[in-house]
Amino acid sequence: MSRDKKKTKSVKSISGGTRIFTYICLAWALIVSLVPVVWLGISSLKKDPLARPGFQLPESIYLEGYISTFRDLHVMRYFGNSMLIAGISVLISVVMISMSAYVVARMEFKGKKLVNIMLYSTMFIPATALTYPVYNLINNLHLYDTRAALILIYSCSGIAVSFFVIKNYYDNIPRDLEEAARIDGCGYVQTWVKVIFPIARPGIMTAAVLAFLNNWNEYYWASLVLIDRNKLTVPALLSTFTTSFNTNYNGLFSAMVIIILPPVLLYCIFSKFFIEALSGGAVKG
Amino acid sequence: MGVFILTELKENNKNKSRLRRRRSGFIILFLAPTMAAFCIFYLYPIITVFITSFCKWDYTNITAPEFFGFADMWNNYDYIFHTYPYFWEALRNSAVWALLGVVLQIPIATAIALALSRKVKGVKIIRNIYIIPNMVSTAAMGIIFLQLYNPSYGIINPVIRIFKKEFTDNILLLKGPAFIAMTAAYIFFTGTTTLMILGNIMAVPEEIREAAMLDGASGLRQDRYVTIPMIKGTLRTVSVLAATSGFLLYNEVYFLTKGAAGTYSISYVIRELAITSPRTQFGRANSVAVVQILAGMIIIAAVNLLYGVSFKKKNNRGGRAS
Amino acid sequence: MKKRTVSILMAAVLCVAALTGCGNSGVETGAETDVTNEADADTDTEEAAVQEEASGDKEVLEFYHGYYQDESEWAAAQAMRDIYDAFAAAHADGNVIFKPIAVENRDEIVSAQVAGGNFPDIVDLGNAGASLAAIQQGLIYDLKPYIDENGLQDAVGINYTQHDVDGHIYLVHDQIESRGIWYNADILEKAGVSADSLTDWESFGEAMAKIRGLNDGSYGYIAGQGSSKMVNSILASTEAGREMLESELTVDIINSEEFAEAFKTVAKLDQENGSEHTTEDNGNLMAEFNTNGTVGVLFNGVWNASGIDESLADAIEPALFPGNVAIASAGGGLAIANGMSEEKTALALEFIQYMTSAEVQEKIFTDVQANPCNVTVDLNALAESSGNSITMKLAEACSQVNSADIVVIDMNYSWGADVNSAIINALMECAVSGTDIDARFEQLQKELIALIG
Repeated sequence: MSRDKKKTKSVKSISGGTRIFTYICLAWALIVSLVPVVWLGISSLKKDPLARPGFQLPESIYLEGYISTFRDLHVMRYFGNSMLIAGISVLISVVMISMSAYVVARMEFKGKKLVNIMLYSTMFIPATALTYPVYNLINNLHLYDTRAALILIYSCSGIAVSFFVIKNYYDNIPRDLEEAARIDGCGYVQTWVKVIFPIARPGIMTAAVLAFLNNWNEYYWASLVLIDRNKLTVPALLSTFTTSFNTNYNGLFSAMVIIILPPVLLYCIFSKFFIEALSGGAVKG
Repeated sequence: MGVFILTELKENNKNKSRLRRRRSGFIILFLAPTMAAFCIFYLYPIITVFITSFCKWDYTNITAPEFFGFADMWNNYDYIFHTYPYFWEALRNSAVWALLGVVLQIPIATAIALALSRKVKGVKIIRNIYIIPNMVSTAAMGIIFLQLYNPSYGIINPVIRIFKKEFTDNILLLKGPAFIAMTAAYIFFTGTTTLMILGNIMAVPEEIREAAMLDGASGLRQDRYVTIPMIKGTLRTVSVLAATSGFLLYNEVYFLTKGAAGTYSISYVIRELAITSPRTQFGRANSVAVVQILAGMIIIAAVNLLYGVSFKKKNNRGGRAS
Repeated sequence: MKKRTVSILMAAVLCVAALTGCGNSGVETGAETDVTNEADADTDTEEAAVQEEASGDKEVLEFYHGYYQDESEWAAAQAMRDIYDAFAAAHADGNVIFKPIAVENRDEIVSAQVAGGNFPDIVDLGNAGASLAAIQQGLIYDLKPYIDENGLQDAVGINYTQHDVDGHIYLVHDQIESRGIWYNADILEKAGVSADSLTDWESFGEAMAKIRGLNDGSYGYIAGQGSSKMVNSILASTEAGREMLESELTVDIINSEEFAEAFKTVAKLDQENGSEHTTEDNGNLMAEFNTNGTVGVLFNGVWNASGIDESLADAIEPALFPGNVAIASAGGGLAIANGMSEEKTALALEFIQYMTSAEVQEKIFTDVQANPCNVTVDLNALAESSGNSITMKLAEACSQVNSADIVVIDMNYSWGADVNSAIINALMECAVSGTDIDARFEQLQKELIALIG
């Protein structure tokens, strides 16, 4: 009830110019995102997408790409591997980062600038420079061709992005809350666990979503440290359609659609919880 | 990193303040996992990159990079600055893409986030649809856009022909248009950025908006004078991320042009030198990598400077509270 | 309310899917499950081999290859895996276990290993460049003595000359990357040109102009990646040019008249052909030739035989490049690590012999549909006995290449992939109408000199 009331109020408060601008933005967002997505969807239904290209509708709906992907290619195995690997590494990296980001956001200590610089620099190291050291590390740890190797790599890579997203969120949380907790006798760790972490959850989840999407689509490291096909992650599903001489575009586009289904579904389900959690105004203080 | 913690420890011992020791312990405990990740994953490569950029390191001595000696230590840099044909083009392109990230991508993302924050019909669906392109990998997007830009059956040439009847060329091969086409293949997909901004907009307390409304600010004016200043911190963060990803653009180059028509990027050049070249020029690739790291840091510093004012204020607050 | 139920339901389905996915892979690792799929059966034998290794004192000879594609997507990959497995099975009782492993990114893995001074036991290298550093470090076993002792010169065919590095042979590729042209006879006929006009470059250009003149949406050829093969074959038409192709790229070659002539001829043809028919990614326009039938000529290898749509099977024919030139490259190939135990090395060498033996080479032709390296295999006889129309077309293309007056290596391998891509980029830019070809060529010369510097 109260929600509905709010809604009508907000709508009324929008003036004409703003309303037009809003609709233009929304229309733009819709068009921009639909062009590639719809094109991909249509093309995945064509027998030979390149022979009847563009936005032309297929002559007849051809589902062979989807059928063979599900029938022959062990899609569920790839999904399982990716869920497992991406899931665990996101969990590890996000917990790790949300701890250190808190320290950097809230505490003053010598070397804080250095920590920032170190993390910034990680974004610019080219993969070619990382390849050999990381490959060597994985071998020395006897993790080669294990899922654990990929979990280790994903947990350590992309830490900078998560760090800045989460730190930014901490910066928005008023300090009064911690001070109140401290007066109540909470230690540093306790304050973080009981007060800060729960409030920052939406921000941390945003970082988790970003990290998950990156890991979901990551192919370079996966193909470098995993050789057993039973352990490979979803991007390997795409490479099977490209041989040295030819590409099966119908299969490739079908697989592209299939690959994004799990993240899309997960997002649709979870966005409810975390965007609304944000709007709940937990940060208000 | 051990150094600063050690000095801090020493200081604490002098003071014998239990609270401060606990505080240091907490800092170390919470920083340790991330620092460990940095050390095992990045420290060695980053040192190697800097050192071997002054070394002869290619297919002839792949297991044993060899320092050029102080007289010739800049050999690799000399080569990439003065001889290598694609370096300056790549650096300029990457820098422009970084700049576009800040001046084009972020305003678009913000405008859409603001639109999505208004309670009009259908926003929830658009909010969910808008992020889908960001779930497709950049490699897949590259393949998709290669088809969309195809001159004989893509969607761009018919549009151009409305204005220029005789146009038949492949836009990916025209100097200038190719760069624009490549930029357009990624820059408008701001789903995740918009999501972050939207999250922060939603967190702006309703009371502040209402107070602004009493002052007569509503709609776009309210956005301009109330909401945007409130989310400056987030805008700074997403600007840094957009600039970074623009600067590091690789897959778009690889799938759309392979560097033809003046579209090389720094990341692409590094891979060309290190992997595509049969002579495995690691030393030269790493001197480009050093430029990439330093230029990246400068770009981040510049973005931070841009948002400097609000940043300073927050820092002061931070100092007081802790 | 309803929406929420649906979304929770979907979440549940997804979780179940993920769990069953994990569950399956977990089960598959157990050796006793009844598996219907062949790929899974492969893994099981591999697992069994690993278990044996752990329990016994047998050595394992690991072999990395790139045929990872599922049978449903690329039957040739399964055919190659079968060939490897047959060798493994034949040596299952020996002291060394042969273990073929399909690896997606083997070039990258090998280069990471080489950077650390290691090399896989045996690897089927896809990229010749990956081997240069390994050879310099002495990581690859020299196969030449073995080939000479056992009289395998004919069996390894073109490898014997192309992969000769100062009297050593480090790579043997079991199949030859063979390139000629494919043309659509119907389009040529409509345009009023005969297939004979494709035998020299001047009449080739005229023929293309006539096809464009049809004005029915057809066009001459697919330029871009193919254009570099045109440069390659024009260079090959002179003695001096052939020498250049076979040596390393030098400043003299870059400044030579032959190179300028070849580049400018192709650039001019490409520009007339139009930039809208130019692409680096050949696959991107291939359907226009193989399926839609709107292109006169396609520059592609013999393997294109299997890509031709049934409706065009009668119209599309293979031919050589103008001037009776074929491009045949050994490219990458099988390489053996140096310094393995005697027994392992012996088995690895036996594997090279096996892969180049007539029996396997015949399978590579009929099942994998590639041009085998062994020159003693009678392709036409094989094709006739198979009775398969695709195989017949392949045999025709292969025998044309094998019996061409002039056979040269692809400059992508002799001059390097970075040089090749610089040339392709320059040609593609020239395809845009109005581009100053001379100026672009001068720029290319500068680029190439810098690249080899």
